[in-house]
Amino acid sequence: MAIAKAERLMNLALCLLGTRRPLSKRELRESIEAYLEASSDDSFNRMFERDKDDLRELGLVIETVENLDGEVGYLARRDSNRLPPITLDAEEAAALGLAAKVWQQARLAGAASGALQKLRAAGLPEDVDPYEAHGALEPRIPVHEAAFEPLMLACRDRRPVAFDYRKATAARPEPRLVEPWALECWRGHWYLAGWDRDRGAERVFRLSRITGKVRTRGGKYTAQVPDVVTVRETVASWAGDIADRSALIRLRSGSGYPLRAKAASVRELGDGWDELEIPYGHGLDAWLVEFGPDVVVLEPAELRADVVDRLRAVAKG
Amino acid sequence: MAGKPAKPTNALDQTRRMLSLVTYLRERPGARVEDVARAFGITEDELISDLDVLPLCGTSFRGGDLLDIDTDGDRIWWHNPDDVAEPLRIAADEATALLVAARAVSTLPGLREGDRQALLRATAKVEAASGEAAGASARLSVTFESEGGVFADVDRAISERRRLWIRYYSPSRDELTEREIDPIRLVSVGHTYVEAWCRRSEARRTFRLDRVAEIKILDEASAPPEVELRDLSEGLVQPAAEDPEVVVEVGPGGRWVAEYYPHDSAEELPDGGLRITLRAPDPASLRRLALRLGREGRIVSPVEVADSARQAAREALAAYDGPQGAGDAGDRPQDVPGTTRDGAPGAPLDGGGGAQRPDDGPHGVHDGLYGRQEQGL
Repeated sequence: MAIAKAERLMNLALCLLGTRRPLSKRELRESIEAYLEASSDDSFNRMFERDKDDLRELGLVIETVENLDGEVGYLARRDSNRLPPITLDAEEAAALGLAAKVWQQARLAGAASGALQKLRAAGLPEDVDPYEAHGALEPRIPVHEAAFEPLMLACRDRRPVAFDYRKATAARPEPRLVEPWALECWRGHWYLAGWDRDRGAERVFRLSRITGKVRTRGGKYTAQVPDVVTVRETVASWAGDIADRSALIRLRSGSGYPLRAKAASVRELGDGWDELEIPYGHGLDAWLVEFGPDVVVLEPAELRADVVDRLRAVAKG
Repeated sequence: MAGKPAKPTNALDQTRRMLSLVTYLRERPGARVEDVARAFGITEDELISDLDVLPLCGTSFRGGDLLDIDTDGDRIWWHNPDDVAEPLRIAADEATALLVAARAVSTLPGLREGDRQALLRATAKVEAASGEAAGASARLSVTFESEGGVFADVDRAISERRRLWIRYYSPSRDELTEREIDPIRLVSVGHTYVEAWCRRSEARRTFRLDRVAEIKILDEASAPPEVELRDLSEGLVQPAAEDPEVVVEVGPGGRWVAEYYPHDSAEELPDGGLRITLRAPDPASLRRLALRLGREGRIVSPVEVADSARQAAREALAAYDGPQGAGDAGDRPQDVPGTTRDGAPGAPLDGGGGAQRPDDGPHGVHDGLYGRQEQGL
């Protein structure tokens, strides 16, 4: 029966951590049962390279050292792999415990518990239930987009990526070549900021509009990565949250609470209508049309025309 | 426990866990299975399967030095503890996962101040201990939305087990209703929601905090019936099979509907649009969607919804036909494509979509649609 991969990885990790001198591939092969069972040199080599990569992915620092005979050896030095001293009190431990539970994405959920387990092993207090300590709060970070994981890795490793992207109003996706900078989750959706090579400019992409696979490309970044990437401001302005003008509307009494909540001023007209001054940002026309006959736009004329135009389209329906 | 994140069982996660486990066990001879499983956030079965693997692992390349770890099912013993088992550094992905989550949680406006301070202290310590590995964590960030004042009142009502009175906005009806609720828990998924037992409808409801117009903590004790907490990982709102079917046809500019509304199917149309079939407990609430879509789409069925949207648009237009109305608005040709703002100055980048996007995000739409939590009133 094939030996489980976790057992093989664990043996390799313990060998590399336990040794004081570099171990050659031959020595490792002879001391780990799963490698002894490898059917050929090739299959052993492949397995060994993959395992080393996996352990590095788990954070193990594995050094490659060449001895005088030119033979390559491997070891994981204790001092480069030891967690620096860290002391957390019970409250801090409970707070981290809560944070470690928020990811709904398998890889990050696994990594967060991995971090917490390392801290537990190093003495993190464990007698507090994080849910008890934090009352009824259950924050969750949703990740539904398939493009998330490859883009996260590409941002981490600074690798250019290619993907097909369908703009909100476009029928067909178009290929994009992007140097990814950062991912941000806002209002439950993930966005990518990066350098669009074909357009020679910074762009923000919504992950749910990426179609097909994200493929990594070789080579270095051509544009400098900014110190601070502000995905959120870009998306907020696009969502109409940032308004630099205001509009004047009439609103039927008792209706349109969200408009009232945003209004800078509300004046009762006394005939069953109120007059409101509201922020005028991106997308306001579409929003106002939702209220149908309960809203009349007074000014500016541009907004009034947009709303009338939309209403006519529906009226013709 | 409800709401617990899905736990992957892959070889990498298991290896990572076993490496920490040996360190942990060295410090705690005779540790209880139950306690260790809790400390590691795993089930006892998962722990036992780790304990089955560990005795097959060795600390030396010469072999023969296998970990002599065993358990009687209650306690765990390591008979030849080895100094290989030192606490390991935090890896880059681990630092990212924990730090990004911690920063996000620390921005929740409703978090108690003491807890926030503890979290900030812990975050700084983990950053320091992670060293370089913490660097990449700046490449991911998460913002939770929630309404500070409302959040604090709900949180207090839950911990003091008190009933709440709220005035709540229902977008599908464009109306405010008053009701008393017994809060059960707060959930943040993009927006923040309170799950509660609604005394008015005698049913479980979910309320989005930014739609709570007013809130008061009442003197009465909260007494929600025992309800099983749902696993919310699949989304807060699930359409039900018995809900009436709605068919929406959209052009390319209305494709966002498929992103915001859970649907049964979305067929591509030759013009680059979609034919979307979804379910809504109250199709009349889709009048808003029909109005918003304008020329970018229409409700195909039920036909009454399309009729009521058309009627509403005509009524609304009548208000513009007065002396100040027709003039400026009437001149605009019907087919000028300038009514969407994609090309407007300052319209953001490609990730941005255009004027078609609902103002308040997915749940805004979902709640209007599948607002059984908010409906039945």
